[in-house]
Amino acid sequence: MEISQSTSKPVPSTFRRLMAVCYRHMTTYNRNFFTNSFGVVLEPLIFFMAVGWGLASAIGSIDGVPYLVFLVPGQIMTSVVYSVAFETSYGTYFRLEMDHNYDSMMVTPLGVSDIFWGELLYVGVRAAFFSTIPLVIFGVWGLILSPWAVLVPLVCFFTAIAIGSLGLFANRLVKSLNQFNFFVSGLIAPLLFFSGTLFPIDKIPKAVAFVMAWMPLYPSINLCRMLTTGHFQPELWVTLVYVVLVPWPLGYLGVKCIRPKLIK
Amino acid sequence: MPVDLSPEALEKGETMIQAKQLVKNYDAFRAVDGVDFDVQKGECFGFLGPNGAGKSTLMKMVYCFSPRSAGELSIFGLDPDLKPAEIKNRIGVVAQTDNLDEQVSVIQNLEIYAGYFGLSRRETKNKIQSLLGFMALEAKSKARIKELSGGLKRRLVIARALLNDPEILILDEPTTGLDPQVRHLIWAKLRELKGQGVTLLLTTHYMEEAHELCDRLLVMDKGKVLDSGKPRDLVQKSMPPYVLELPATLQKNLGALPTAVHMEAHGDKLFLYSTSPDVLEKVAVSLSGEFRIRTTGLEDLFLKLTGRDLHDSD
Repeated sequence: MEISQSTSKPVPSTFRRLMAVCYRHMTTYNRNFFTNSFGVVLEPLIFFMAVGWGLASAIGSIDGVPYLVFLVPGQIMTSVVYSVAFETSYGTYFRLEMDHNYDSMMVTPLGVSDIFWGELLYVGVRAAFFSTIPLVIFGVWGLILSPWAVLVPLVCFFTAIAIGSLGLFANRLVKSLNQFNFFVSGLIAPLLFFSGTLFPIDKIPKAVAFVMAWMPLYPSINLCRMLTTGHFQPELWVTLVYVVLVPWPLGYLGVKCIRPKLIK
Repeated sequence: MPVDLSPEALEKGETMIQAKQLVKNYDAFRAVDGVDFDVQKGECFGFLGPNGAGKSTLMKMVYCFSPRSAGELSIFGLDPDLKPAEIKNRIGVVAQTDNLDEQVSVIQNLEIYAGYFGLSRRETKNKIQSLLGFMALEAKSKARIKELSGGLKRRLVIARALLNDPEILILDEPTTGLDPQVRHLIWAKLRELKGQGVTLLLTTHYMEEAHELCDRLLVMDKGKVLDSGKPRDLVQKSMPPYVLELPATLQKNLGALPTAVHMEAHGDKLFLYSTSPDVLEKVAVSLSGEFRIRTTGLEDLFLKLTGRDLHDSD
């Protein structure tokens, strides 16, 4: 084995560094692909069958569409959000405090920004990928009414980055693994239930609805609903801008927050 | 005289690492307290010290993981606070813990890591082949990390640190907890790398390791430098060359000691030092029992410098 002692080794570009981090997560995730993806794909379907056979027939239609059609975007988003929220809360905590994977990344040309932006992009891409599976199944089921639905994975990409950033915040705050309960049950669960997943947001008290409308989930679900039903609302453009732009400052703050956990 | 840390000056003297009055504070605790050292190209430079001496902290500062609190530090003439990616692109690090990606195979671990250095697919493939051969890991290339023994993991971590053809290889206690076979294999490999011009920086608390590998040593305790120099010189300048170790219970049986003998009592042992083995021999035969006179080594120096009391482990 020869060590070549040339000093002209260029530092990899930011793009390559981010891709290298994504590759790392993809490789480790794919090793247990079936186990890891089982829940992400199956849960929304099980929920749907239960509701479809039971609840939907009793409810009829909401906002001018059959209840099952109304439910589709929320269900796709729910599985995305849970998988991302777990990845950047518990998953990141394990990599940070237990397996010390980040320590081995930090002694390469990667820096804190590369590591965590890479992670956020990875969860974004993964979310987009996994959203296509229920999307296809619901399409075959006849619950997708508009071809605009092909853009749903893109919405999932942006939403995953926003939610993933919240996981990074949570990592800054927790002192033990158990404390992620506050994050998952105290933030993610209410966010999911009150963001127009199961019923329109105007059915909840005005003050709560106002807050929820500006949290980083309702706009995503609202936008997905416009895309899957083809019923575009007047707030389309505001929603679109929100969904596309908000993840980036959130990501910036998330990465900033987690920095001191790694560099001491 | 102020130290010229410009890249041109360092290039001339081939100084790879230079530290002046380096300090690291963790809140109120000072882990590294005004350390000076320089590492020249192609040498093996060792940090010797008990647990908690500040060796690992010092290493972390060199490999740009831990920002310094005060003092000057340059690696390849570059400031780690300003050019971490450039520095890290040219060094290899074997940290104290293995930090491997446990879920995936040996080869995948190397592929992932090569990506961090931006190696192309072809470079990665060739490099991995030669490194698996170098560290004798070919048979395990498809094994998952969970299936590897501690020694195999360590070999893999060293292979991983060589993926980018580092100019400096930094090893933090590379053989702690390994069996003698693996330890000797690793030492042989490190000597081979040194022969190829790789500069080695290592920490250890094994005297044997320091003696086997290091051209120069820096003995540390409690964040401070106690002494530095070539291993043999260090021992010679501060220790008599011979020592007789006795159980402390024999102290009452000892008569008046010759003036050429210096005695120290530590724990349950007596250490009799002298420049002459004959003088110690006479003391030994006056006692009943088998006592061996040996030459003093790094271990004696280490214990003398850092004290023979137990240190809190870190």
